[in-house]
Amino acid sequence: MTVPASAADDEPHDLPEGAPGPLATQLPDELTDFITHCVPLTGFAAFDLHATGTARLYLDTARRQVGEDRFAAFWTAWKRALAEGHGPEALTPTHREVARALIYLWYTGAWPRLAPAAHADLRRESANTEFVPAPSAYVEGLVWRTFHGHPAGAKPPGFGTWAVRPPDPPGVAELRDRLGLADVPYRTGLAGEVPPEDIPAHLLPGQRLSRAVPPSAVPTAAAAPEATGTPEAPVTPEAPAAPEAPATPEEGTS
Amino acid sequence: MTETVSAEGAARRRYDAIIVGGGWAGSVLAKRLGAQGWQVLVLEAGNGGTETWPGYLDSLSTFHSAVAKVPNAAYRPNKAAPSPNVLDLAPVRDPQAGEPEFTANGYFVQDGQLPYGTDYLRELGGAAMHWLGAVPRMLPDDFATRSTYSYGLDWPLTAEDLQPWYAEAEGELGVAGHAQEQKELGVVTDPAYEYPMHHIPQSYIDQYCDHRLGDAVIDDTVAQLPYALRTFGLPQARNSTPNPAYRAPYRIQGAVGLPNYGERCVGNASCVPICPVQAKSHPLRLQAAWPPSVTLATRCVVTRVRATSTGTVTGVEYRTYTDPASPVSRSYLAEADVVVLAAHAIENARLLLFSGLANTSGQVGRNLMDHPTLLNWALAPEAGGPVGPFRGPGHTSGWEVFRGGPGRRARAPFRIEIGNWGWGWATGAPMSNVATALGIGGDKDGNVRPDGVFGPELRRLLGSSIGRQLQLQIAVEQSADPGNRVTIDPARYRDAMGNPRPILTYNLDEHVRTGLFAARLVAQKIFQRLGATDYTDHAPHDGVPPLGHFVHTVDEQTLDLAYSGAGHGAGTHIMGTDPKSSVVNADQRTHDHPNLYAIGCGSMPSIGTSNPTLTMMALALRSAAQIHRDLAAARRPVTVRPAAEPANPEKEKVTA
Repeated sequence: MTVPASAADDEPHDLPEGAPGPLATQLPDELTDFITHCVPLTGFAAFDLHATGTARLYLDTARRQVGEDRFAAFWTAWKRALAEGHGPEALTPTHREVARALIYLWYTGAWPRLAPAAHADLRRESANTEFVPAPSAYVEGLVWRTFHGHPAGAKPPGFGTWAVRPPDPPGVAELRDRLGLADVPYRTGLAGEVPPEDIPAHLLPGQRLSRAVPPSAVPTAAAAPEATGTPEAPVTPEAPAAPEAPATPEEGTS
Repeated sequence: MTETVSAEGAARRRYDAIIVGGGWAGSVLAKRLGAQGWQVLVLEAGNGGTETWPGYLDSLSTFHSAVAKVPNAAYRPNKAAPSPNVLDLAPVRDPQAGEPEFTANGYFVQDGQLPYGTDYLRELGGAAMHWLGAVPRMLPDDFATRSTYSYGLDWPLTAEDLQPWYAEAEGELGVAGHAQEQKELGVVTDPAYEYPMHHIPQSYIDQYCDHRLGDAVIDDTVAQLPYALRTFGLPQARNSTPNPAYRAPYRIQGAVGLPNYGERCVGNASCVPICPVQAKSHPLRLQAAWPPSVTLATRCVVTRVRATSTGTVTGVEYRTYTDPASPVSRSYLAEADVVVLAAHAIENARLLLFSGLANTSGQVGRNLMDHPTLLNWALAPEAGGPVGPFRGPGHTSGWEVFRGGPGRRARAPFRIEIGNWGWGWATGAPMSNVATALGIGGDKDGNVRPDGVFGPELRRLLGSSIGRQLQLQIAVEQSADPGNRVTIDPARYRDAMGNPRPILTYNLDEHVRTGLFAARLVAQKIFQRLGATDYTDHAPHDGVPPLGHFVHTVDEQTLDLAYSGAGHGAGTHIMGTDPKSSVVNADQRTHDHPNLYAIGCGSMPSIGTSNPTLTMMALALRSAAQIHRDLAAARRPVTVRPAAEPANPEKEKVTA
């Protein structure tokens, strides 16, 4: 096996957490490429994404769900957006939905139900329903790590750990630095970074009308929660100021 | 470990006792009778397999890959012995006024005004395979609500009668609890009593609430009474550390099928539907301790109980199957001196109705109960930091003060569980948090949503919006109402094997609805005191009401409310002293048939606000003692000449 020499081999200590690192050079190119560009989508380091052991499953699942060509077009668009110093706001609505589905897969281990418009636009042949591609995918979901938890029913932290206060979640700037990510908006349709102390209801889940509703189809929370001690000043969603027009010529699929 | 035989093998001989159902009640009864040397046959309708480690891992991986992680998510569907599932219910869009707001599409046929949103599991070990493991004792006044508060039904037993049986049951279940607290609560009266294991630590969420609320006083405006809050730890059938002060050295039992595993809870936080290490107690442990005189046959669906014209029962008819997906079966007959139905409240009623037995009172199937549970959810303030949801057992503490006392006259009592699993039950969190923060799934018109967060901003947002989730699950007492019932209609509704499906007619009466109403107001006040933002919402959404939705008005205040089922099916063959108004006596023997018992939660005339398993186990142990006496009496040598001996001293116990 020939391992191509890379500049990274010389100065591994200067690399940010998000960088592929020397190990990546031993992996198939497309998997390295996939993980590298999933770092800004997920907010997790390449190390974390590799460690799930599910990257191949996710790439295959996304290709099957979106279609080989359409996924390739999305991937090209996303890489171009990154190269040009943009965030997800540069993606078309359909590509934005594909990006969300891919993140949902990384975060929960399940492929979600897509917006019907995107489902139709992608001309998908499979049913637009949520499913878990493998039992191990659920176990590797990243969402649990956002609040220093663990997947329910796996990776137990030990007797009595639930009695201890968990650490605070890291801030956005700290994450960007650690992951070596560009200082661009990692949001669409929102005026500014969402302040954690004042999360608007439309970014929170509402009641699940029945247990049969899959998590990706749960509606957002009611706009005005009942009166409490906390003042109410939600971040208003920005009018469709985000670029909805195709950003790249390859947008034929959307 | 007990011998498992085929359906044919099971039919080969006569038994002292046949037990229908291999769940908690049947398993503890078989253990006791078997230990006394009686030949016992246990017939389980569902599949076995989880008593082996590979079989158990299969259930675990079924749970991991389920999209909807509901209580039955870890267990495969079985058409031959179908189980109800909470996924069988769906809300109706724009319902007509006064019409039911739901449809039921599964094992249960439902024709009531409100949905019976509770499931159970027909599988070796029964619904105990997915239970939480909460084992609070019932309060003394729970046993006499009719005479004390003028609602519901009284028991023919008192809390004091059950004290020794509760203690026995806690030993069999393996309970970790804080004896001193339970004594202060008034449910443990023996001052020397200790639980087998030290209590499970209170979660950080419990401490968070406790610290911020202290002994705050909350006004219940419905009951018009002030209530001082104080958290009590929940006694749980979950392995912790053996208590050296327990009455005898306690050896912890862990996983069945894998030695030296699961001997302490490690915080998997998935007790419902499955504990991966089996630190949560389940009936397979008791089954592993069955002596050789107990015979088990799985995949044996009892269809009827057979009786003679004089009223004694002779045995049961049952059918077996090979492929659970397309059951083709033949019928068998097993005979015994005593038949015990221990198949779940609804299954017991179904069997009695189909067999045409024990129904002189007309009460078989009536008084169906559950604990309608109100979910309340809120975000703790960011300034207070994360609260650490989705960790540890489902709940470790509660506020008990609303359970008893004179407030019960005005409204049904309730028990407030401080949830440890965030908004999971109410909203599908944390998965639904990911979906809504990303903005996936489209807007109302199906278009791609413009708003959403990604990458580091998503990670930060979720850290906060999930990390601060509080949920209060409030279980409200439902009292006996003969109109809430199980019936059958074999001409119209049968399952794939030809057995009649249960038809449920269910509603909540005014007293229960007012209890849910009061509980909602109390939860609002608790969230206010915590400075938390209350996101609780039970109103219809785009014309679709949530399951269990109803509108209730008290003192000119009107609320949209919705309840969930708690999985606490009870009250279909209630006990009493009068054969005209009850199905079984205090020993759970049917009034009509001297050798037919119906045991389980179905025997309870009321269930208070306690998760019913512990009380069910106490009753089962009490019945085991009586059945032993029955069997022994039947075998006593014939007295040739009249003797001047006194009556059997054990028989003196009068059934209240």
